Amino acid sequence: MTGLDSFAAAVQHSSFGEWAAATPLVYPVANTLHLLGLVMLVGGIGIVDLRLAGLFRGLPVAPLSRALTPIALMGLALLIPTGATMFAADPQTLVHSPIFRWKLTLILIAVTNALAFRVLLGRRMEAWRQQPPAAARVMAVGSIGLWLSVAALGRWIAYGS
Amino acid sequence: MTRFAFLAAAVLSLPAAALAHHGWSSYDASKAINIKAKFTSVSWANPHGSAKMQWNGKTWDVILAPVSRMEARGLTPAMIAPGQTVGLVGYPRRDGTREMRIERVIIGKKAIELR
Repeated sequence: MTGLDSFAAAVQHSSFGEWAAATPLVYPVANTLHLLGLVMLVGGIGIVDLRLAGLFRGLPVAPLSRALTPIALMGLALLIPTGATMFAADPQTLVHSPIFRWKLTLILIAVTNALAFRVLLGRRMEAWRQQPPAAARVMAVGSIGLWLSVAALGRWIAYGS
Repeated sequence: MTRFAFLAAAVLSLPAAALAHHGWSSYDASKAINIKAKFTSVSWANPHGSAKMQWNGKTWDVILAPVSRMEARGLTPAMIAPGQTVGLVGYPRRDGTREMRIERVIIGKKAIELR
Protein backbone atom coordinates (compact mmCIF):
# COMPACT_ATOMS: atom_id res chain seq x y z
CA MET A 1 0.00 0.00 0.00
CA THR A 2 1.49 3.34 -0.97
CA GLY A 3 1.41 6.41 1.24
CA LEU A 4 -1.28 7.86 -1.01
CA ASP A 5 -3.47 4.77 -0.61
CA SER A 6 -3.13 4.73 3.15
CA PHE A 7 -3.89 8.47 3.23
CA ALA A 8 -7.03 7.85 1.14
CA ALA A 9 -8.08 4.95 3.36
CA ALA A 10 -7.55 7.07 6.48
CA VAL A 11 -9.71 9.87 5.02
CA GLN A 12 -12.43 7.43 3.96
CA HIS A 13 -12.63 5.84 7.41
CA SER A 14 -12.42 9.10 9.34
CA SER A 15 -15.66 10.37 10.83
CA PHE A 16 -15.53 13.25 8.30
CA GLY A 17 -15.19 10.79 5.42
CA GLU A 18 -18.01 8.59 6.63
CA TRP A 19 -20.25 11.59 7.20
CA ALA A 20 -19.49 12.94 3.70
CA ALA A 21 -20.17 9.61 1.97
CA ALA A 22 -23.11 8.22 3.89
CA THR A 23 -25.26 11.23 4.82
CA PRO A 24 -27.62 11.41 1.84
CA LEU A 25 -27.71 15.18 1.31
CA VAL A 26 -24.15 16.13 2.21
CA TYR A 27 -22.68 15.31 -1.19
CA PRO A 28 -25.30 17.03 -3.37
CA VAL A 29 -25.29 20.12 -1.11
CA ALA A 30 -21.48 20.29 -1.19
CA ASN A 31 -21.63 19.88 -4.96
CA THR A 32 -24.13 22.75 -5.30
CA LEU A 33 -22.14 25.09 -3.05
CA HIS A 34 -18.94 24.12 -4.89
CA LEU A 35 -20.59 25.32 -8.10
CA LEU A 36 -21.68 28.58 -6.41
CA GLY A 37 -18.07 29.09 -5.26
CA LEU A 38 -16.86 28.49 -8.81
CA VAL A 39 -19.31 31.05 -10.20
CA MET A 40 -18.14 33.62 -7.64
CA LEU A 41 -14.46 32.90 -8.26
CA VAL A 42 -14.50 32.92 -12.05
CA GLY A 43 -17.24 35.54 -12.31
CA GLY A 44 -15.29 37.83 -9.98
CA ILE A 45 -11.68 37.40 -11.01
CA GLY A 46 -12.55 36.68 -14.66
CA ILE A 47 -13.93 40.20 -15.16
CA VAL A 48 -10.84 41.73 -13.52
CA ASP A 49 -8.68 39.52 -15.74
CA LEU A 50 -10.54 40.59 -18.90
CA ARG A 51 -10.08 44.25 -17.93
CA LEU A 52 -6.36 43.68 -17.34
CA ALA A 53 -6.10 41.79 -20.62
CA GLY A 54 -7.45 44.78 -22.51
CA LEU A 55 -11.25 44.68 -22.60
CA PHE A 56 -13.64 47.27 -21.06
CA ARG A 57 -11.01 50.03 -21.10
CA GLY A 58 -13.63 52.57 -19.97
CA LEU A 59 -13.66 50.94 -16.53
CA PRO A 60 -11.00 52.01 -13.99
CA VAL A 61 -8.77 49.03 -13.08
CA ALA A 62 -8.17 49.55 -9.37
CA PRO A 63 -11.80 50.11 -8.18
CA LEU A 64 -12.97 47.20 -10.36
CA SER A 65 -10.37 44.95 -8.72
CA ARG A 66 -11.29 46.21 -5.23
CA ALA A 67 -14.95 45.37 -5.86
CA LEU A 68 -14.54 41.97 -7.48
CA THR A 69 -11.44 40.40 -5.88
CA PRO A 70 -13.23 39.92 -2.50
CA ILE A 71 -16.07 38.12 -4.33
CA ALA A 72 -13.52 35.82 -5.93
CA LEU A 73 -11.85 35.19 -2.56
CA MET A 74 -15.23 34.38 -1.00
CA GLY A 75 -15.77 31.97 -3.85
CA LEU A 76 -12.42 30.32 -3.15
CA ALA A 77 -13.31 30.16 0.55
CA LEU A 78 -16.48 28.28 -0.42
CA LEU A 79 -14.70 26.01 -2.93
CA ILE A 80 -12.07 24.64 -0.55
CA PRO A 81 -14.27 23.12 2.21
CA THR A 82 -16.92 21.89 -0.24
CA GLY A 83 -14.21 20.34 -2.41
CA ALA A 84 -12.63 18.73 0.65
CA THR A 85 -16.05 17.28 1.56
CA MET A 86 -16.54 15.72 -1.87
CA PHE A 87 -12.96 14.43 -1.77
CA ALA A 88 -13.57 12.84 1.64
CA ALA A 89 -16.64 11.02 0.29
CA ASP A 90 -14.64 9.20 -2.39
CA PRO A 91 -10.91 9.57 -1.67
CA GLN A 92 -9.69 6.19 -2.92
CA THR A 93 -11.04 6.85 -6.41
CA LEU A 94 -9.85 10.45 -6.52
CA VAL A 95 -6.23 9.94 -5.50
CA HIS A 96 -5.83 7.68 -8.53
CA SER A 97 -7.70 9.92 -10.97
CA PRO A 98 -5.26 11.62 -13.40
CA ILE A 99 -7.87 14.30 -14.05
CA PHE A 100 -8.15 15.09 -10.33
CA ARG A 101 -4.35 15.30 -10.09
CA TRP A 102 -4.21 17.67 -13.05
CA LYS A 103 -6.92 19.76 -11.42
CA LEU A 104 -4.94 20.11 -8.17
CA THR A 105 -1.77 20.95 -10.14
CA LEU A 106 -3.53 23.68 -12.13
CA ILE A 107 -5.09 25.09 -8.92
CA LEU A 108 -1.60 25.34 -7.45
CA ILE A 109 -0.35 27.16 -10.56
CA ALA A 110 -3.40 29.46 -10.67
CA VAL A 111 -3.08 30.42 -6.98
CA THR A 112 0.67 31.01 -7.42
CA ASN A 113 -0.09 33.18 -10.47
CA ALA A 114 -2.64 35.21 -8.45
CA LEU A 115 -0.27 35.66 -5.49
CA ALA A 116 2.60 36.62 -7.81
CA PHE A 117 0.36 39.20 -9.48
CA ARG A 118 -0.62 40.71 -6.10
CA VAL A 119 2.96 40.77 -4.81
CA LEU A 120 4.70 41.95 -7.98
CA LEU A 121 2.14 44.21 -9.63
CA GLY A 122 -0.88 44.70 -7.35
CA ARG A 123 0.24 47.94 -5.76
CA ARG A 124 0.89 49.63 -9.11
CA MET A 125 -2.68 49.09 -10.28
CA GLU A 126 -3.77 52.66 -9.40
CA ALA A 127 -1.32 53.99 -11.99
CA TRP A 128 -2.67 51.89 -14.89
CA ARG A 129 -5.02 54.32 -16.58
CA GLN A 130 -5.58 52.56 -19.88
CA GLN A 131 -3.19 49.75 -20.71
CA PRO A 132 -1.64 47.57 -17.97
CA PRO A 133 1.94 46.40 -18.63
CA ALA A 134 2.54 43.30 -20.70
CA ALA A 135 3.38 41.15 -17.66
CA ALA A 136 0.00 41.97 -16.09
CA ARG A 137 -1.84 41.17 -19.31
CA VAL A 138 -0.07 37.82 -19.67
CA MET A 139 -0.86 36.88 -16.07
CA ALA A 140 -4.49 37.91 -16.53
CA VAL A 141 -4.96 35.79 -19.66
CA GLY A 142 -3.17 32.95 -17.86
CA SER A 143 -5.51 33.35 -14.90
CA ILE A 144 -8.65 33.02 -17.03
CA GLY A 145 -7.26 30.04 -18.92
CA LEU A 146 -6.13 28.31 -15.73
CA TRP A 147 -9.38 28.79 -13.78
CA LEU A 148 -11.56 27.74 -16.71
CA SER A 149 -9.38 24.66 -17.18
CA VAL A 150 -9.65 23.87 -13.45
CA ALA A 151 -13.45 24.18 -13.73
CA ALA A 152 -13.57 21.93 -16.80
CA LEU A 153 -11.31 19.31 -15.18
CA GLY A 154 -13.52 19.36 -12.10
CA ARG A 155 -16.52 18.46 -14.20
CA TRP A 156 -14.55 15.83 -16.11
CA ILE A 157 -13.48 13.91 -12.99
CA ALA A 158 -16.85 12.14 -13.06
CA TYR A 159 -16.27 10.92 -16.63
CA GLY A 160 -12.61 9.93 -16.36
CA SER A 161 -11.31 6.45 -15.74
CA MET B 1 -11.28 37.63 -30.59
CA THR B 2 -8.01 35.69 -30.95
CA ARG B 3 -7.78 35.75 -27.15
CA PHE B 4 -11.19 34.13 -26.82
CA ALA B 5 -10.27 31.60 -29.46
CA PHE B 6 -7.14 30.80 -27.47
CA LEU B 7 -9.13 30.32 -24.27
CA ALA B 8 -11.74 28.21 -25.97
CA ALA B 9 -9.00 26.04 -27.46
CA ALA B 10 -7.32 25.69 -24.06
CA VAL B 11 -10.54 24.45 -22.45
CA LEU B 12 -11.59 22.21 -25.31
CA SER B 13 -8.21 20.52 -25.59
CA LEU B 14 -8.64 18.98 -22.12
CA PRO B 15 -8.53 15.18 -21.94
CA ALA B 16 -10.76 14.06 -24.77
CA ALA B 17 -9.78 10.47 -24.03
CA ALA B 18 -11.50 10.53 -20.68
CA LEU B 19 -15.12 9.47 -21.33
CA ALA B 20 -15.25 6.30 -19.35
CA HIS B 21 -16.90 6.07 -16.03
CA HIS B 22 -20.08 7.67 -14.83
CA GLY B 23 -22.06 8.69 -17.87
CA TRP B 24 -24.62 6.19 -19.18
CA SER B 25 -22.94 6.53 -22.58
CA SER B 26 -20.01 4.38 -21.47
CA TYR B 27 -22.38 1.44 -20.91
CA ASP B 28 -23.82 -0.66 -23.71
CA ALA B 29 -27.63 -0.53 -23.44
CA SER B 30 -27.96 -3.02 -26.30
CA LYS B 31 -26.44 -5.74 -24.09
CA ALA B 32 -28.85 -5.55 -21.16
CA ILE B 33 -27.97 -7.96 -18.37
CA ASN B 34 -30.90 -9.40 -16.39
CA ILE B 35 -29.77 -11.60 -13.52
CA LYS B 36 -30.35 -12.65 -9.95
CA ALA B 37 -27.26 -12.05 -7.89
CA LYS B 38 -25.86 -11.84 -4.38
CA PHE B 39 -23.48 -9.00 -3.64
CA THR B 40 -20.28 -9.84 -1.79
CA SER B 41 -19.84 -6.28 -0.58
CA VAL B 42 -21.90 -3.10 -0.77
CA SER B 43 -20.86 0.55 -0.42
CA TRP B 44 -23.91 2.67 0.46
CA ALA B 45 -22.20 5.97 -0.26
CA ASN B 46 -22.05 9.08 -2.40
CA PRO B 47 -21.33 10.12 -5.13
CA HIS B 48 -23.04 6.79 -5.95
CA GLY B 49 -23.54 3.46 -4.28
CA SER B 50 -21.49 0.53 -5.53
CA ALA B 51 -21.19 -3.19 -4.92
CA LYS B 52 -19.17 -6.22 -5.88
CA MET B 53 -20.45 -9.62 -6.95
CA GLN B 54 -19.32 -12.88 -8.51
CA TRP B 55 -20.81 -13.52 -11.93
CA ASN B 56 -19.72 -16.30 -14.33
CA GLY B 57 -16.73 -16.92 -12.12
CA LYS B 58 -15.48 -13.32 -12.25
CA THR B 59 -15.66 -10.40 -9.85
CA TRP B 60 -17.83 -7.58 -11.18
CA ASP B 61 -18.15 -3.99 -10.02
CA VAL B 62 -21.74 -2.84 -9.81
CA ILE B 63 -22.55 0.87 -10.06
CA LEU B 64 -25.72 1.96 -8.25
CA ALA B 65 -27.22 5.46 -7.80
CA PRO B 66 -26.63 8.42 -5.45
CA VAL B 67 -27.75 7.66 -1.88
CA SER B 68 -30.53 10.25 -1.87
CA ARG B 69 -32.02 8.79 -5.08
CA MET B 70 -31.90 5.21 -3.81
CA GLU B 71 -33.61 6.27 -0.58
CA ALA B 72 -36.22 8.34 -2.42
CA ARG B 73 -37.12 5.34 -4.58
CA GLY B 74 -37.50 3.10 -1.53
CA LEU B 75 -34.29 1.07 -1.68
CA THR B 76 -32.58 0.41 1.68
CA PRO B 77 -29.12 -0.96 2.52
CA ALA B 78 -30.77 -4.01 4.12
CA MET B 79 -32.49 -4.96 0.82
CA ILE B 80 -29.17 -5.28 -1.02
CA ALA B 81 -26.96 -6.39 1.88
CA PRO B 82 -24.36 -9.08 1.08
CA GLY B 83 -26.05 -12.48 0.83
CA GLN B 84 -29.50 -11.16 -0.12
CA THR B 85 -30.82 -12.30 -3.49
CA VAL B 86 -31.26 -9.24 -5.68
CA GLY B 87 -32.65 -8.98 -9.20
CA LEU B 88 -30.55 -6.67 -11.38
CA VAL B 89 -31.12 -5.13 -14.78
CA GLY B 90 -28.06 -3.30 -15.98
CA TYR B 91 -25.59 -2.67 -18.78
CA PRO B 92 -21.92 -3.64 -19.09
CA ARG B 93 -19.12 -1.21 -19.85
CA ARG B 94 -18.44 -0.81 -23.56
CA ASP B 95 -14.68 -1.10 -23.04
CA GLY B 96 -14.93 -4.62 -21.62
CA THR B 97 -14.14 -3.72 -18.00
CA ARG B 98 -16.12 -6.05 -15.71
CA GLU B 99 -18.43 -3.35 -14.44
CA MET B 100 -22.16 -2.84 -14.89
CA ARG B 101 -24.40 0.10 -14.25
CA ILE B 102 -27.76 -0.76 -12.82
CA GLU B 103 -30.97 0.48 -14.45
CA ARG B 104 -33.28 -1.18 -11.91
CA VAL B 105 -33.12 -3.41 -8.87
CA ILE B 106 -35.84 -6.00 -8.29
CA ILE B 107 -36.49 -6.97 -4.68
CA GLY B 108 -39.11 -9.72 -4.54
CA LYS B 109 -41.75 -8.38 -6.92
CA LYS B 110 -40.87 -4.73 -6.44
CA ALA B 111 -38.84 -3.01 -9.16
CA ILE B 112 -36.86 0.05 -8.10
CA GLU B 113 -35.60 2.30 -10.88
CA LEU B 114 -32.12 3.72 -10.31
CA ARG B 115 -31.76 5.96 -13.37
